Amino acid sequence: MNALKVGWLLGLRQIQRASWWTTGLIISVMTLTFLNLVAISGILVGIVDGAVRSAYEYSLGDIIISPLDTENRILQTPSLIRTLETYPEIKKYSVRHSTNALVEANFRERRNLRGERDIVMANIVGIDPVLEDNMVSLSEFVVEGEYISDTEDGQILLGAYFVDRYAEQFGDIFDSLSDIVPGDIVRIGSGERAREFTVKGIVKSKRDEVSLSIYMPEREFRRTFGRLDHDANLIVVRTQPNTNRVELRDALKASGLDRQAKIQTFEDALPKFLTDIRDTFNILGLLVGSIGIVVASISIFIIIFINALSRRRHIGILKAIGIDPRAIEIAYVIQASGYALVGSFLGALIIYLFLVPYFNANPIDFPFSDGVLLAEPLGTFIRFAVLFLVTLVAGFLPAWMIVRQNTLSAILGRK
Amino acid sequence: MIRIKANNLHREFGSGRTKTHVLRGVSLQVSDGEFVGIMGRSGAGKSTLLYQLSLLDKPSEGEIFLNGVEVSLLSDHEQTIFRLLHLGFVFQDYALVPDLTASENVLIPLLMRGIDYETANKTAEDCLDAVGLDQRYGHLPGMLSGGEQQRVSIARAIAGKPDILFADEPTANLDSMSGKQVIELLTKLNREGQTIVLVTHEKEYSKNCHRVIKMDDGKIVS
Repeated sequence: MNALKVGWLLGLRQIQRASWWTTGLIISVMTLTFLNLVAISGILVGIVDGAVRSAYEYSLGDIIISPLDTENRILQTPSLIRTLETYPEIKKYSVRHSTNALVEANFRERRNLRGERDIVMANIVGIDPVLEDNMVSLSEFVVEGEYISDTEDGQILLGAYFVDRYAEQFGDIFDSLSDIVPGDIVRIGSGERAREFTVKGIVKSKRDEVSLSIYMPEREFRRTFGRLDHDANLIVVRTQPNTNRVELRDALKASGLDRQAKIQTFEDALPKFLTDIRDTFNILGLLVGSIGIVVASISIFIIIFINALSRRRHIGILKAIGIDPRAIEIAYVIQASGYALVGSFLGALIIYLFLVPYFNANPIDFPFSDGVLLAEPLGTFIRFAVLFLVTLVAGFLPAWMIVRQNTLSAILGRK
Repeated sequence: MIRIKANNLHREFGSGRTKTHVLRGVSLQVSDGEFVGIMGRSGAGKSTLLYQLSLLDKPSEGEIFLNGVEVSLLSDHEQTIFRLLHLGFVFQDYALVPDLTASENVLIPLLMRGIDYETANKTAEDCLDAVGLDQRYGHLPGMLSGGEQQRVSIARAIAGKPDILFADEPTANLDSMSGKQVIELLTKLNREGQTIVLVTHEKEYSKNCHRVIKMDDGKIVS
C-alpha cells in the first residue's frame, strides 16, 4: 500500500513534469494505435454490416415469410395476410410473386426469325407498387424514367444490370439488353403467353437482387404467367419500433402460420456467408490492429526504457533512501497507463464524435454495400482493455529491468 | 550504545590480474551521538567504506553490525527496509528527484514508512524550516542553488529521524560559503544527538568531528 502511494506520487509527477513535446508525441502514438485498432476492423466489419443493413432496409425487413421447404409458394397467401394484419406489431408488409422468364428487346427491329435475338433470362417480380415502395423504398432506386403504378397496364421497372450500359462493368458474366431506355418496348414470356411491356423506369441498387429483377404490378404478373391463385413467393414484414422479432416470429408460428409458410426473423434469414465474411473481416481487423498494438507496445517500451535509463541514477538514489523498488515500478506503470488512458480517450472521442458520424453521413462506396465504420461500445472497450494491458506490461518491463540493477552501480553510473 | 561495528572488512573488485583490493581488513566502531569523519586521499577507500557501512554495497569479507543487528546477513529487501527505517543519506551531488518539489523530496521516505500525506508534508516542511528553506517548499530542485539543494538533501535525510546519518563529501560541489553552512548544519544536528559519519577530504571541515579516521590504501592508518 505504501509502495502504491509513493509510486502514484512519483508516477503522477513524472507525467506532470515531463516535456510537453514528449508527452504529446507518446499520446499521439497511443491515439493512432487506438484508432488503428478500432477503425480498421470497424471499417472492415462495416463493409459487411453495410450490406446487412442494406438487406434489412431495402429488401427483407424484420420478418421474412417464404414457402415451406416442400412447396414452391406460400400456401393460402390471402388468409395468411389477413392473419398478419391482425398483429398490431406489424407496421407494413409487401407481397412478392416471382418467376423466371425470357425478356426480348429487339423483337420489332429483327428482320427475320434467324436474326440474333437481344434476350435475357430474368427474375420477374410481381408486386403491389405502393406496398413495395412503403416497405423497401423501391422508387428511390429508379435511376432513369419513373416508378410504376398499379393503375397503369403494361408498365415495368427494369433492373439496371439487364441494360448493357450498366452491366458492362461485369463483362460477360450475365446477358444484358442493348440500348434500352425508358419508353422502349420489351417482350416478356414465350410463345402464346408472351406479352409486350413498356419500360417505365430502370432501377439500380447495391442490392444485386434489385438490379437483377424486373418489377411489374401483381395483377399484370398473374395475367402474364397464368397465376390463377394468389399464392406469393415471399412476404416481407416491417415491425413497429422496439418490437421483439423473435417473440413476433414465435407468435406467428404459434398461430399456425408455420403450416403455410416458413417464418423467419431477419437474423434467421441472413445468408450464412454474410455472417462468415463478417467474422472473417473482424479477425482480419484484429490482426491488423494487433500489429498496431505490437508497434505501440514497442514504442512505449523504448520510451519508458530510455526514460528509466536516463533516470537510472535517481532510481538508484530512491532505492538508497529506502524506497521500495515496487514503488518505482508502479511509478512507471502509472506513467504508461496515463499515456494509454489519455491516448485511448482521445481516440474514442475521434471515433465517436467524428469518424462514426462522418462515415454514416458519407459511407464508403463499395460495389456491394455502403461501408460504414462499425464501432460497437463493447468491442471498443475490449480493444481499449487489450491496449491498456499491453501498455502496462510495456511500461513495467523496462522499469523492472532498470530497478533490478545494483543500487550502488546505478548511483555511481557504473555498467 | 554502539551504533556501528565493523570487523575485518574487505572489498575487492574484478578478478584475476584486474582484481583490485579497495578495503583491506577495516575494523571500526561508532558510538551513539558521535560525529566521525573519514578522510584520506583519492582512492584511499573512504567512500567504499561508507557504502559498506550504509548497506549500499556488500563487503567481500567481514561483518557489519548496525544497532546491534548483523546487517551483512540481511537480504536486499531487508536491507532496503533497514535503510528506510534507520539510516539517512546525504550525497555529494544532492541526489534529489528532479520531478518532485523540495517538500515532496523530503516526504517521499516518510510516505514509504506508512505516514499519511498530511503528516508527512507537515514533517517535511518542519525539516525544511530547520535547514533554513522555509520559503522553498514548492520549488523544484532545478530552481534551487547547489547549497539549497544540499540542504533539501539533508532535510530528506533527517526527516525520518535516522539512527545514523551518512554524508558522502556533501560539500564537494559547493562554494566555500555554502559548504560551511552545510557543515554547520550537520554539526548542529550532531549536537542534538544525531550520529553522523562524514566522508570528506577537506581538513577544515573535519575539525567539527569528534573523531577523524584516516585511510590510505584500503586501511585505517590512524
